[in-house]
Amino acid sequence: MRKILVANRGEIAVRVIRACRDMGLASVAVYSDCDRTARHVRMADQACAIGPNAPAESYLRIDRLIDAALASGADAIHPGYGFLAENDAFAAACRDAGLTFIGPSPESIALMGSKTKARRAALDAGVPVVPGTDEPFAADERESVIASAAERIGYPLLIKAVAGGGGKGMRLVTAPDDLSSAIRAARSEANTAFGDPAIYLERRLVRPRHIEVQLLGDLHGNVLPFVERECSIQRRHQKVIEETPSPVVSPALRAHITSAAAAVARSVGYASAGTIEFLLDEEGRFFFLEMNTRLQVEHPITEMVTGVDLVRAQIRVARGERLDVDPPTALTPIGHAIECRIYAEDPDAGFMPSPGRITGLRVPGGPWIRDDSGAESGAEVPIFYDPLISKLSAWGGDRPQAVARMRRALDEYEVRGIRTTVPFFRWMLQQAAFEAATFHTGYLDELLQQRQGEPFEIPSEDEEQVAAMAAALQAFTALSSTSSVTPNARMETWRDARVQQSNQPAKMGWKRLARLEGLRP
Amino acid sequence: MTFEVETGSRKRVVQITGGAGKYQAVVDGSAYVLDVARAGENWSLLMGPVRAGSPASLSVRAGRSYEVTVGVQLGGELSVFVNRRALAVRLDALSTDLDRRRIARRAGGRGDHTADTRSGPLDVTAPMPGRIVRVLVKAGDVVAARQGVVVVEAMKMENELRSPRAGTVKEVRVGQGALVEAKTVLVVIE
Repeated sequence: MRKILVANRGEIAVRVIRACRDMGLASVAVYSDCDRTARHVRMADQACAIGPNAPAESYLRIDRLIDAALASGADAIHPGYGFLAENDAFAAACRDAGLTFIGPSPESIALMGSKTKARRAALDAGVPVVPGTDEPFAADERESVIASAAERIGYPLLIKAVAGGGGKGMRLVTAPDDLSSAIRAARSEANTAFGDPAIYLERRLVRPRHIEVQLLGDLHGNVLPFVERECSIQRRHQKVIEETPSPVVSPALRAHITSAAAAVARSVGYASAGTIEFLLDEEGRFFFLEMNTRLQVEHPITEMVTGVDLVRAQIRVARGERLDVDPPTALTPIGHAIECRIYAEDPDAGFMPSPGRITGLRVPGGPWIRDDSGAESGAEVPIFYDPLISKLSAWGGDRPQAVARMRRALDEYEVRGIRTTVPFFRWMLQQAAFEAATFHTGYLDELLQQRQGEPFEIPSEDEEQVAAMAAALQAFTALSSTSSVTPNARMETWRDARVQQSNQPAKMGWKRLARLEGLRP
Repeated sequence: MTFEVETGSRKRVVQITGGAGKYQAVVDGSAYVLDVARAGENWSLLMGPVRAGSPASLSVRAGRSYEVTVGVQLGGELSVFVNRRALAVRLDALSTDLDRRRIARRAGGRGDHTADTRSGPLDVTAPMPGRIVRVLVKAGDVVAARQGVVVVEAMKMENELRSPRAGTVKEVRVGQGALVEAKTVLVVIE
């Protein structure tokens, strides 16, 4: 293996290209029209256009990706996460074209990618699953059949996409009246995101925690579990903050849950990086939720506490090498790591997407801070893709130290031009329940619901005064240096000049309206 | 030069004198000395008290340090970052009566605008820029309150927009696949 095509964009494409560099491998980027100037394109050794902006016409086009790999002379494809990462047809197409797919076999993807088959596999391996329907409901299944299954499981319940992941195609249903529209939404979203509208039902546990186990398997039958990650801070089933180790998992529970995860992976001959997700209830019982047959978004925190480069390991096992990590290294965390997913969303407007041009970006650094990002100053955050712009991770010798470093890093983070979730994270890391780690998967949604729409970040009197002085100073120096005759004319000139500098008039429509509607301050 | 500056909580009157990086700012009657140095878009702003006995001196000794960026003006609003935190600032020069009148007019104008957007509660509008995945109703359909009418996709998430109340679909203004801006009226319910 000498050259890897990265079939993705954004921060994960950058991450994989960096791993290629580290290993002395060449890299090939792919891009849709709007990503022509993206960072991953400029970082790679070669780059191929793969079509228009809509994912279905570019990043989801198996034929074009295979063509790009063959045209560029790549001998392997890394899918990243999202897009085609868990598409067995893509993995099979790579194999058929003589390319190494850096991920599990198409058979593993198909098996574990079907959430209902995966549940069966977990049960067969002796691992408990969350109660729910054992068979998927096809796209044309009558609603009455689904409704009677729902009655058996009981409300509240979750509708989930059989091919799902990342909260897409998932809907919470609290009462029978809402079932019909939730089924429709879940099927449609599942179809758009995964090309498969099949769904199943699952009971919603009371105040569970999300605990997951990273795994690495090789082609020689070895499966290695890693120390667990806790991802209970979620907004609408999307992970927002992840940490490792879990503050509530004892060494005994760790031994139990990681060996259960490894048993499931071994039973299906899993041979790549993957993650098994569990729910942990208040009594300390865990239930298999699903397996993600890809590299996870939150893999950096596992790398930070174990010292294992998971992308490198994934590439090594894909080319047939044996795992070179000792089990105790993978299972014994050194210190504590936390990750915040920084999104281009406006937390003060109900986390509405905030696409647009990043006019200024300053990224934190310093001791034990890691920022994985595909964004940079001058770059456009397009509306077509997931709005994740950066993953900020912090490491500490223990949890309080990691939290303190994360707070410091968030304080240093500045993004101008678009709204991001940075102010939300600054607020979140001050919450008592976060500090005490007493959260569960519904905690954040409950917390957000209690808020009365006040901004996440309220500037201090001092900051407001400095801002007022700075704005006045800016105008003062601009007016002092212009040659217009009257103060009024100078003021107009200055204002016009400032407005012309604004390079995003089209983006103003919804921002201004949102402000007038009271959605924004 | 005197400015009226509005930040989140209130308005301040700020008077600036000086030059070449050394200034005095009088904010609502309280005086400060400022030392401002620029590094590209970022300023280092040092702020201290006006020291007794040297009224003419604009030097700051061991002042409080701030990192400031004054961003672009959007819709009459400046985006100012103080220590990496964004603040929205409105600013007007208070040199003449004309400016005072303009400020008064603008304040009035804002009020009207707010009232405007509150009308027409029966429109179903796009909450954000996105793509219409599906239109679930057609003109003439009778809809129940909270019944889904249109599905919009933005940044890979689908959102079902619901009818604000029971009624009849008067008009459907978009088709499947259309790209819409925020606030576009999609469906009118009668």
